[in-house]
Amino acid sequence: MTELDLTKERTGTGLRLLRQAIGEHRRGIALGMAVSILWTLAKISVPLLIRQGIDDGIRGDGSLLLWSLLVVAVGGVSAICTGLRRYVAFRNARAVEAEFRDRVYQHIQRLHFAFHDRMQTGQLMSRGNTDLQQFQNFITMLPVTAANLMTVVVAAVILFWLNWSLATLALMGLPLANYFGRRFAKKLHPAVMGIQEESAQLATVVEETIAGVRVVKGFGAEQMRADALAKEADDVYLRSLEAASARAAHLPALELVPNIGLIAVLGYGGHQVLNGTLEVGELVLFNIYVVLLIQPLRMLGMMVANYQRASAAGERLASVLDTEVEIVDPDQPTPLPDVMEAGAVTFRDVDFEYEPGEPVLRGFDLEIAAGESVAIVGATGSGKSTVARLLPRFYDIGSGSIELDGVLVNEVALDELRTAIGIVFEDTFLFSSSVRDNIAFGVPDASDEVIRRAALLAGAAEFIAELPDSYDTELGERGFSLSGGQRQRIAIARAIASDPRVLVLDDATSAVDPTKEHEIRDALGEVMRDRTTIVIAHRAATIALADRVVLLDEGRVAAMGTHDELLASNERYREVLAQGAAKHAKAHDEVVD
Amino acid sequence: MAGWMSAGVDEDSKLDKGDAQKVVKRTAALLRPYRALVIRAGTLLVVWTGLLVTLPVLFGKAIDAIDRGDSAVLNRSIVAYVVIAVANYFLWRSAIISLARAGEKFLRDLRRRVFDKLLNLSMPFYDREKAGVIVSRMTSDIDSLAELVQFGLQMFLSNILLLFGVAIVLAILSWQLFLVCLVSVPLVTIASRKFQRDSNDAYLRVRDGIGATLSSLQEGLAGVRVIQSYSRTKIESERFHATNYSLFRSHMNSTRIAAWYLPVVDLAGITTTAVALGIGGWMVNDGRLSLGTVVTFVLLLQNLFEPVQQLSQLFNMVQSAAAGLNKLYSLLDEEIEVPEAVAPVELPSRADVLVTGVGFSYATGPPVLRGVDLHIGMGERLALVGPTGAGKSTLAKLIARLYDPTEGSIEYGGIDLRLASRASLRDRIIVVPQEGHIFDGTVRDNIRVARASATDEEIDDALHRIGVHHRFVALPEGIDTEVRERGSRLSAGERQLVSLARAALVDPGVLILDEATSSLDPGTEAVVEAAMDVLMTDRTTIVIAHRLSTAARCDRVGVVDAGMLAELGTHDDLVGLGGRYTALFAAWQGAQEPIGSTGP
Repeated sequence: MTELDLTKERTGTGLRLLRQAIGEHRRGIALGMAVSILWTLAKISVPLLIRQGIDDGIRGDGSLLLWSLLVVAVGGVSAICTGLRRYVAFRNARAVEAEFRDRVYQHIQRLHFAFHDRMQTGQLMSRGNTDLQQFQNFITMLPVTAANLMTVVVAAVILFWLNWSLATLALMGLPLANYFGRRFAKKLHPAVMGIQEESAQLATVVEETIAGVRVVKGFGAEQMRADALAKEADDVYLRSLEAASARAAHLPALELVPNIGLIAVLGYGGHQVLNGTLEVGELVLFNIYVVLLIQPLRMLGMMVANYQRASAAGERLASVLDTEVEIVDPDQPTPLPDVMEAGAVTFRDVDFEYEPGEPVLRGFDLEIAAGESVAIVGATGSGKSTVARLLPRFYDIGSGSIELDGVLVNEVALDELRTAIGIVFEDTFLFSSSVRDNIAFGVPDASDEVIRRAALLAGAAEFIAELPDSYDTELGERGFSLSGGQRQRIAIARAIASDPRVLVLDDATSAVDPTKEHEIRDALGEVMRDRTTIVIAHRAATIALADRVVLLDEGRVAAMGTHDELLASNERYREVLAQGAAKHAKAHDEVVD
Repeated sequence: MAGWMSAGVDEDSKLDKGDAQKVVKRTAALLRPYRALVIRAGTLLVVWTGLLVTLPVLFGKAIDAIDRGDSAVLNRSIVAYVVIAVANYFLWRSAIISLARAGEKFLRDLRRRVFDKLLNLSMPFYDREKAGVIVSRMTSDIDSLAELVQFGLQMFLSNILLLFGVAIVLAILSWQLFLVCLVSVPLVTIASRKFQRDSNDAYLRVRDGIGATLSSLQEGLAGVRVIQSYSRTKIESERFHATNYSLFRSHMNSTRIAAWYLPVVDLAGITTTAVALGIGGWMVNDGRLSLGTVVTFVLLLQNLFEPVQQLSQLFNMVQSAAAGLNKLYSLLDEEIEVPEAVAPVELPSRADVLVTGVGFSYATGPPVLRGVDLHIGMGERLALVGPTGAGKSTLAKLIARLYDPTEGSIEYGGIDLRLASRASLRDRIIVVPQEGHIFDGTVRDNIRVARASATDEEIDDALHRIGVHHRFVALPEGIDTEVRERGSRLSAGERQLVSLARAALVDPGVLILDEATSSLDPGTEAVVEAAMDVLMTDRTTIVIAHRLSTAARCDRVGVVDAGMLAELGTHDDLVGLGGRYTALFAAWQGAQEPIGSTGP
């Protein structure tokens, strides 16, 4: 769905979120507005006092000192309100930003796998980042907008009350400020976005050139890359000039507008003073007010554009926040039984499809006894990984039933169910924290002994000992980077640290260095002893570790038996295995490196 | 609107006076090509600000004329006012354009210049520096400059001019009243200095907070499946909350700093206005000053304190841009460690390679290679084997002249590589890296990386020659299929094939192949091997072998160990030698398992 369609279909949802945010902070926003209005009144009074100073203190025979002191006093109030207004406005807006960011994060964390399969990380990132900035911008501007409106109204009323004909002349040009302000925001925004876009493209050229510098140097492709960059630099240049011409077209015009009023004040008002129908102080007052009105009118124009962006951002936010969590706890969860031999798994007549009309599992039946290890083997797309993902309820099945220790999985509390199942994914994801924290991920209060034992079992203890800070070594972007095999072994340690009833290894040894694989195999044998284990693998040696092998074909169990039995009796099994085995043998044909 | 708390400099990138002067000098030198534009922009700004300051003066003159009842002077003032206001409209308009042109041209050329320099720097530089840091020179450092050019420079310059202009006009109108008005200068100065420091620190805190929050968000999204699998949703949400609210506090800290500074300057402004009104009014009553002068003072002072507020913020932006420039200039001064000869020589299309007494060590550190002597005949296939870090890759890099040896020499067809022209070197000696790096663009663009001038037919031909043309034609749009960023639409095997097609396009005299360590799917593996065989035919080839089966297919094998060429001979000779290779071979044979065996 394009952004445009979204806007059309979801009119109102963005507004709803904005209203909700404002409602939750109505006190703060009301305070901000109150301070803003006080600020406006003080700010508007200063010119009046200056006029009195001129007319009464200088030209008349009143107290000049009194008026000067009043200017300082009222100016002081206005100054304090300037700071207070800023503080309150930003506190509200930043609070809304932070709250919504928390909300988005929490909601995303609860959303089912199927949602995340559909969504790109980058899209969700901008929900939690740029969209919230638009929100924050708008809410920051609310009190200022109130003050601006107030300024415009009050100043206009005073001017008309003082001298309506001069006021008409002075204010005639001011709506232009609003017009130019609005048009400026409308022109500048896309230009600035354009610069950002082109800069991002330039950054891509730089990044891929630096990442591939060996290729660039190896083939002498320097000139080619230089040309690619020159093109991007030209694009950035052109876009930047567009933004500059938007500024050039509007900023001077915005400055010219008040001058129209000022000239009218001088010409018409000056002659009125000469005729004796106007005081000089009033003339100066008109001048100050006309200048004072410019900024508010300009900002009111920009606020319109601001509002449009905020409500579009709100729509995008709502599209995430309104997505219902599909996989939820049962109303009355049944606890898993506390049995001696835990980990019995039953799949009964299970149907499942990711996309409607494209069944992945069809009447899948499988019974795994407590403590048994089963390898699921199948060609790509046979549904073997799906089986592993249904047990912890990452997806809910279409029909049939799945039981763990005699309880239907959808009747168990999600936390309990998932703690009971340790899963190691093919693409290993580790967090930017210490090795220890990564292994203890499922059991944050795990003792050192538990962590070390898990590492040992996963065949990770040896290389962890050699890391700079052993178990305290920080991993990730700013930390130490491990090889694919090492990462997988930490992921295996993470899965067994919580001592799950069922261990699922989804192609968990694929990235392990073949020369080290036998170590893991030995270790895995240890891990799998007396624990229900589902192994999804295509290396024969890993498959052979399981007590029983299930051949999956077209979403059904096609054959079952020990590895040797199937090898001897099943043609299809040999076919499927041949690919994995070939790969396996190839990987072994290697010098130590 | 832009400007508040939008820039800052780390303590260790701040420039001292000497550095700052150098940066200014160098920038001035780099601006020379656009001298005319710069002068034009500067003149326009000066004239514009000058006229801007005269407007309130004219207004004051008009008031005086009114005060005296002189309508002729009033009318003249009005006409002058109109003329100046309209002139200013055009002046500012062209000032913005000229300044943007000069600034953006400078930036564009700086981007090109820095990138050209990066491309010219040799491999030792890339091995030494982190890729992220190199990229940031071209992105964040230049971007902070761009931000200044786009948002701050004009405001910075015109505010400085405005301050001076107003001060001069006020002093001329009445130096006594001007001196009185200076009363608030100490307060504003102290407050502004404190603000600058505090807001700089606050900005850095906010920047780090944003970074931490975004990477926490990113990690929570990328790891969402693992988090759910381990029922860590709550804990992770709490962790995110902590980071998120730490950012909130940093934001509030920065808001507080602005929230006390703004009123101080506001108050200083209003106090000064009141002083001008009070003292000035008293002087008018005394007959020492005209009413119009007081009005001019009041009007000018009203607009004087906003530039002060803006300047103290812009100062951080300027500082950060200067720090960025300093880093860029030191990059431009970086020495090229593998330079091209003064009188470069062309290399012959086919020749032998002679390595004589070659030793190599990185700038700091022990020797990586010592006393390597090796002759590789024309058309010979040599495999280099040995443990990681033994130096076999380094030897290959030296032969491709990605590095220069610290001792000894490497010759191709009797010509020392240091004398060869860079262009002919890249035509004759090609390194095909382990993993095919893919650039944004089509498959064809990616192959053309090897030779920019290649025609479409030549690219098709290169693919045909290594026997993979049909494979790429089968893609949705054939060879013109866009491979997305980092080649995510091509498999690892296809990326390697692109890499090999590049080599085929060049038709080099020496081919250096770095064999991949990770295994591909069996089908592709065979295709890659076949393509490699084609490429090796009739060509001097050096393979950095990770598999002994590859080594066995070569004419000779060199075992590199601890920086030395330990053994050299045919596969069969070395197996029988009873040395390192014999041991490697035994280990390799032991690891061979028949297909479908039950394992240990």
